[in-house]
Amino acid sequence: MDMNFNQHISQQFNADLEGIRNQMLAMGGLVQRQVADSIEAICSGDTSSADKIIQREDDVDAMEVKIDQECTHILVRRQPAASDLRMVLAVSRVVRDLERMGDEAAKVAIHALEVANGNQAASKMCNQSIHHMGNAVVKMTSDALDAFARHDVKGAIEVVRSDKMVDEQYASAIRELSTYMMEDPRSIGQAINILWILRAIERIGDHARNISEQVIYLVSGTDVRHSSLSEMEEQAQSDLPDNT
Amino acid sequence: MNTSMQHIENHITTGIPLSDKPKLSARNVDVFYGDKQAIHDVTLDIGANEVIALIGPSGCGKSTFLRTLNRMNDTIDICSIKGEILLDDENIYGPDVDTVPLRARVGMVFQKPNPFPKSIYDNVAYGPRIHGLAQSRVELDETVEKSLQRAGLWNEVKDRLHSPGTGLSGGQQQRLCIARTIAVDPEVILMDEPCSALDPIATAKIEELIDDLREKYTIAIVTHSMQQAARVSQRTAYFHLGQLIEVNPTKQVFTTPQHELTEAYITGRFG
Amino acid sequence: MTDIKKNDSHEKKSNTSTESNTMTTTQLTTREKVELSLGRRRAAETRFRLYGMASVFFGMLCLVVLFTDIASKGTGAFKQTSLTTEIVLDSDYLNLNKESTIDEIRFANFDGLIKRHFAKMLKPKGRSAKRELFKLISPGASWQLQELLLANPDAIDTSVSIELLMDDDVDQWFKHDRELAEGHMNDRLSDQQLVWLNSWIEEGKLDTHFNTLFFTNGDSREPELAGIHGAIKGTLLTLMVTLILSFPIGVAAAIYLEEFAPRNRMTEIVEININNLAAVPSIIFGLLGMAIFINIFGVSRSTPLLGGLVLTLMTLPTIIISARAAIKSVPPSIREAAYGLGASKNQVVFHHVLPLAMPGMLTGTILGMAQALGETAPLLMIGMVAFVVDVPGFINDPSTVLPVQIFLWSDSPERAFLERTSGAILVLLSFLVVMNTTAVILRRRLERRW
Repeated sequence: MDMNFNQHISQQFNADLEGIRNQMLAMGGLVQRQVADSIEAICSGDTSSADKIIQREDDVDAMEVKIDQECTHILVRRQPAASDLRMVLAVSRVVRDLERMGDEAAKVAIHALEVANGNQAASKMCNQSIHHMGNAVVKMTSDALDAFARHDVKGAIEVVRSDKMVDEQYASAIRELSTYMMEDPRSIGQAINILWILRAIERIGDHARNISEQVIYLVSGTDVRHSSLSEMEEQAQSDLPDNT
Repeated sequence: MNTSMQHIENHITTGIPLSDKPKLSARNVDVFYGDKQAIHDVTLDIGANEVIALIGPSGCGKSTFLRTLNRMNDTIDICSIKGEILLDDENIYGPDVDTVPLRARVGMVFQKPNPFPKSIYDNVAYGPRIHGLAQSRVELDETVEKSLQRAGLWNEVKDRLHSPGTGLSGGQQQRLCIARTIAVDPEVILMDEPCSALDPIATAKIEELIDDLREKYTIAIVTHSMQQAARVSQRTAYFHLGQLIEVNPTKQVFTTPQHELTEAYITGRFG
Repeated sequence: MTDIKKNDSHEKKSNTSTESNTMTTTQLTTREKVELSLGRRRAAETRFRLYGMASVFFGMLCLVVLFTDIASKGTGAFKQTSLTTEIVLDSDYLNLNKESTIDEIRFANFDGLIKRHFAKMLKPKGRSAKRELFKLISPGASWQLQELLLANPDAIDTSVSIELLMDDDVDQWFKHDRELAEGHMNDRLSDQQLVWLNSWIEEGKLDTHFNTLFFTNGDSREPELAGIHGAIKGTLLTLMVTLILSFPIGVAAAIYLEEFAPRNRMTEIVEININNLAAVPSIIFGLLGMAIFINIFGVSRSTPLLGGLVLTLMTLPTIIISARAAIKSVPPSIREAAYGLGASKNQVVFHHVLPLAMPGMLTGTILGMAQALGETAPLLMIGMVAFVVDVPGFINDPSTVLPVQIFLWSDSPERAFLERTSGAILVLLSFLVVMNTTAVILRRRLERRW
């Protein structure tokens, strides 16, 4: 569907919609960097950036509040319908996911600091999994935002598929971690930190998936939350031709 | 948008124009004013006990279409119609159909409140009187009271039934007009932008009333307010340059319209 | 003072600020342009207002002059000079008694009785002096005595005090000329006559009274006996015929044309011709009436029936046009409402359109009637200009109408008729005022807001 905002009779309406969309993408960029930096911090053991990540978290929160307010204003002033309504709702939901992603990134950074200060021998536990999963969610975040920007349903479905893989990796990483803990109870303290990090990364993936679901809602109007991947693909397939 | 100003060749209405239990059905209706065609091949069912909203930009033919449903266009000499309109499977444009009983069955409420310059009582009693619906004065009183009550006006006017109807406020006048229409116990009520001359509170009362009336009547409402269409109707039909572009459940039309012209209209991309 | 100075300096400041604006834009600001053109616009407005006031003033002046002229000339007609005298109703001379029949009274010689009475009283010398004396008394005086006796047969052989009508020359002299200087005096009265009259004035016998005869008599050759009763009755009968015919026909035609007639060439031709008829000179309608009603239908001439028929022809276009305008002004929303309830065409027209159009129709009708009231020309053509003494009883009696009566009197040589012409005009004008006021009141009363 043609998603050009410049066709409203009200120029201000065009500007308003364009505004929340751009701000949301900017917020997405910031969150994406937060996620990437935190993954970098945990993988490299370089804790210098961790503090910055924790500080920038406030900026993300502020952006969420601001964009959400603007969405409210648009709802009140314009009573948007159809694609405009979906855009406002999607932006409002996506910023919440982005904010949570930011929170999770901050969590990763906090636990990265604790890992760095703890038992060095145990700090490399699941390093491989963290690395893989981390890179995957960074890519997913950026893909989800791209899909949003381009109204790309296929890209969104790819992200959902990736999230499934991340979930599987997370499950295997947990199994790996429990063997470490059984082998050496002294490493349990570190292991819990690692567990938190894995959990946060997995959550980031879930949020990226939520964003992608909003992309599908935005473009096709079908709500695909809580539906399986195959259902989602089916929906997207059936909806798409009508709109082109 | 260039397409918005052009006529679409061989358009087939998107969505679900037909209904499971139709009360009024238009079949391939064309309406002409002289040489000018105002309605192009419209096929639409209005289901029993549903509120259908007809929306579209000015001059799209929605009011014209509404007025063909009780042959109000007959009063315009140059207006002619092709196709069929079936009221309970009977063509209202059939050769033997008299408009007088037809309009008693398909009532109409107009854009501007237009009470007769008579008393409130006489306004409501007029329809029953001309159709001989009440056998006695008592029966007529009952009909008037019932109609006013159903129109939500009784409590406001019961003490001044014999003061002029034109002395009421705009919203009250419009409810009086609705009471007048339902006094003849029609099956279908057509409403042509009934709230366009009213303030938001009066509008809210009329909308509330429409919701109540749905239990008993079938209602077709033309409105310029998309919010109103979204609020009161179960189905929404979008007209564009005399064509019926899309008919779908209201919820769907206002969140995910199927046709791009509908989308463009309800999101305010042209007007 | 200080306050004013402060204000001044403040104004200067604002002035300089606008000046600096002007400097930056290098031309006059919009406000200054508006102020410049304001003077011109105000002057044009004032000029136009002056023109308007001048024309209204001119119109009012003409009206005032006309009215004062007519009123000053006409008020005299409402008074009549008469001589109060004691006269014995001599039964021998009159050859009457208390049991005399009405016919006997009618044929009695009251004229001779009056002549004998005055001859005895003033003892004129010679035949010419007698004739001069008798000329002072109106021929109507004997009729007065007759009426008195008819009303009261017991008065025979008694001395009655009566205000005897004086001749129109005496009337005019008494009302207008006796204060004038010698040279300007009306020479219709001889010196001897003046001597008698002056002696009566000294005795206080000669005086003016309200002229009831003007309102109760028909036309007459004698001005002091001429009245407008016949003309008023004729007018009312004529207007009645006109109203009874033209209102229903006009309204029905208007309703048909406006609501029922198919829109085709035929209807169009009828409409155009109705509009044209309204502009046809009224005398043509007189000709038409003469040709059709008299020659073909054989209606008798100079009757209110015929006059009413002709005036109906004349007022119909006016009524039809105003009735159509009234029907057109009924808001379409009312029609729609009625149609929407399932009212038939007839019900819509008679329940809604007609009641709402009625005030306009009535106004148009009353104005048409007022026009008919003042109409003379077509009535001249159908013989209503005849000299009719009797007051018409019904619409088939010969009669005349007020404007024609005015026309007739204005043609008469007697000076007293001039007065009566103006008096009749005053009556006619008051009729018109009453009718127009009725029109306004009706419109106010019946008009409803929608």
